[in-house]
Amino acid sequence: MVESLAPLVMAEDMAKKYGDFIALHPLNVEVHAGEFFGVFGPNGAGKSTFIKLLTGQLRPSKGRIEVLGINAVSDPQKVKANIGIVPESESPPSFLTPVEFLEFVAKLRTVENFNEQVEHWIEWFGLGEKRDTMCKDLSKGQRQKVMLAAAFIHKPKLLFLDEPFANLDPIYQRKCRQWLLEHVKNGGTIFLCSHVLEMAERMCNRMAIINNGKVLAAGTVKGLKQSKDETLEDVFIRLVGRSIEDVERFSDEGVKDKDDEEE
Amino acid sequence: MTGVRVVSRDWDEVTDVQPALESGNSLGTSAHDQQLHEPLRGWNAFSTTFLVMFKEEGRKSLEFAKKRQMVLFPLLLTLVTAITTIGLQFLVGDSSAQVADIESKTFTWQELRFALHLPLLMFSLGMGTFAFMGHDAIVHRSGTKNYLLAAPALQPLPNSVAHFAYFIKDLCFYVMLILSPVVAGMAVGILLESLAGISTPLEWSSLPWTWLAMIITLAQGLAIAFLASALWMRGRPFTIFGPVVIVALGIAIGLGKFDIGSMLWGLGVQSSQSILGAALALLASLAVGLCSSALIIDDFDISVVERDELLTPIYNRLGFLGKGEIRLIVAKEFVDLIRSGSLKKMTVSYAIPLLVLLGMAWLVDFAEAPIPINLLSYAPFLGFFGFNFYSWLTILDSPEFMNGLPLGVPQLIRAKVVVYFLATSWISLIFIVLMAWRLDEWGALPTSIIVMFANSIYIVALTAFLMGLRPNKAIFDASIMIWFWIGTVIPLLLLFLLSFTQGDVSLYGNWWERTSEGGLAATAAMYDQSMVEQGYKGMIAISVGLILASALLWKLMDRRWGYAEFSN
Repeated sequence: MVESLAPLVMAEDMAKKYGDFIALHPLNVEVHAGEFFGVFGPNGAGKSTFIKLLTGQLRPSKGRIEVLGINAVSDPQKVKANIGIVPESESPPSFLTPVEFLEFVAKLRTVENFNEQVEHWIEWFGLGEKRDTMCKDLSKGQRQKVMLAAAFIHKPKLLFLDEPFANLDPIYQRKCRQWLLEHVKNGGTIFLCSHVLEMAERMCNRMAIINNGKVLAAGTVKGLKQSKDETLEDVFIRLVGRSIEDVERFSDEGVKDKDDEEE
Repeated sequence: MTGVRVVSRDWDEVTDVQPALESGNSLGTSAHDQQLHEPLRGWNAFSTTFLVMFKEEGRKSLEFAKKRQMVLFPLLLTLVTAITTIGLQFLVGDSSAQVADIESKTFTWQELRFALHLPLLMFSLGMGTFAFMGHDAIVHRSGTKNYLLAAPALQPLPNSVAHFAYFIKDLCFYVMLILSPVVAGMAVGILLESLAGISTPLEWSSLPWTWLAMIITLAQGLAIAFLASALWMRGRPFTIFGPVVIVALGIAIGLGKFDIGSMLWGLGVQSSQSILGAALALLASLAVGLCSSALIIDDFDISVVERDELLTPIYNRLGFLGKGEIRLIVAKEFVDLIRSGSLKKMTVSYAIPLLVLLGMAWLVDFAEAPIPINLLSYAPFLGFFGFNFYSWLTILDSPEFMNGLPLGVPQLIRAKVVVYFLATSWISLIFIVLMAWRLDEWGALPTSIIVMFANSIYIVALTAFLMGLRPNKAIFDASIMIWFWIGTVIPLLLLFLLSFTQGDVSLYGNWWERTSEGGLAATAAMYDQSMVEQGYKGMIAISVGLILASALLWKLMDRRWGYAEFSN
């Protein structure tokens, strides 16, 4: 295969089961360079499992996974060394400062001249004043910035982001969004996991909707809409199995009940 | 080519069950122009992780104990050891450390060394369960506290390297904060000989060997506990055979089939003063640690398993606790214990030493033992396990979510004390009844049960009162450890000494008086009925005192922890 045509990420029948519970049904995935790919789904749909399997954080129950030419099942360390991961809810180690944590992750990845990179990302995220504060004493948003910096510090082309903006203020949300779009424009590839559909509209060029561990639909954002008037929220509700009327009736009943109480 | 292709299939459509591990037969992905980083491996990964972990440990300890107490703790150890060093002359007579004398009224140096290494091994066995710690760190990393031990879940670092770094870090920390101050105390004791004319039989040349030998014992204990926990984490058959082997080994040692002295590598090194022996023993300990870390697999799965409702059924069974919030918290704690798998782990680790003692009692004729151990001697001994069990209870889950609930820290602490009592008392009771049957000391059983429960409740209440929700971090806090030492050693010593007036009274009556006069060469005396009665009364009185003290600590819990935040 010609290298420039080769995908960055490929999985064949990748699946995960916990006891009798199927977290992710067998999935074939192929992602090429320059994609901003979003995985969307309701809570507990299997989005995080999807990302954790591709990044070597979880061992699959079935299937083969390869990322950047590295077998993610047999050498997950090498995969982790060459991609950037922002997990959904994890914090940096409580008793290290942001600078120490970034130095640690850069050293593990054998990044050359890592001090420059550490300084760059500390400044970029506005953590200068907190550089020597232990992470346990940072706010949630600041801890999230440290996790983002740790994912970017070795300049990976391939990024896996699980609800990356959950705790960021609007200024840094916008700053990060612009940086990520620029990254893709320059040949980078991003996997994004979220249940915030607005992000798909604003950032992703392709997306998949997942529910109960199965991909229900995948394609471009435009391609998933059945009509011009259909919003992405409509698409989402249609695919995950609840009719829009059901949701609207539910909302109306909620309002009605409240009105009744006030009367 | 660009784009994304994502297609799902049904679970049953794919029959190949095993994930593909082989590196050959590539799927055809490529890194394109990205220069791939090779993750740190081997020594480089270890040294990088170790240095940061060492820093982390220092800050963790400082967070609880504060700087002043952290410095005070080694100073306290130095002071206690200096006093002990001066007192050595009364224990060993006039002989120097280099002479292996055997005098009738004194201990031999070998006996003293044994008394140094055995407790040190026990301590390190209790502190070396790194595999359990690592698993807990992985499970809890999405909480507000995250530790480097959980780093392999996300960073390019093998779990085994992180665990080995943790093992070496702990070893270094204990050497720095416990062993070195102890040896420094010995040095101060010797110095006093030249400065203040106080005579001490210890010599300068003994110190480096004592220090090295203690490090070896510590490393050995940590490594063995690490190995046991790593095997346990691998599940069956290790969870079944492991405890059986430990009990069999304990009984074999008790029967004299194995000389425990020969199993204490540090003791062997101190006795032989062989450099080769020291190097081999240290390397062997490190090798056990390394093998244990290799047993830790890179498994970061957090099982998603559905369970039947447990809280309400448990709550309903706890009617005897009334209708207050303690009952609700106790029910929640039991759910944590059961669902985390800790109940099995803790029950086994609580029962193993008791099974060893029971096995020994079955096979050893205590009439031939140098100390008149009897049923009443075991009763206070059981309370010692309370500290470890309570410590485990405090790390089952993060209590921080309770900060937003109408609850206070004292209520949670009290609930944990109740859980400890409910979870372990039946084991202790079975043990003491079986022991009474084996030793044929039914007459002493009611008193033993009172002593056992009083002591058990008291030690856990004291631990809970002094250390709250963070007993593991209190260990280097001098101000707490002084009170803990005073609060436990005095009553326990009194109970032990009084217990020796009982037992096989036809042989050991008036034991204290005899040993005061004759030292280790004391001989048995005739049955002394009045002393037996006094002993019983004394033990009952102390037990009542301990129960009252526990009640007082229970009350004072609000004053000490009433304004604390929920955090472990």
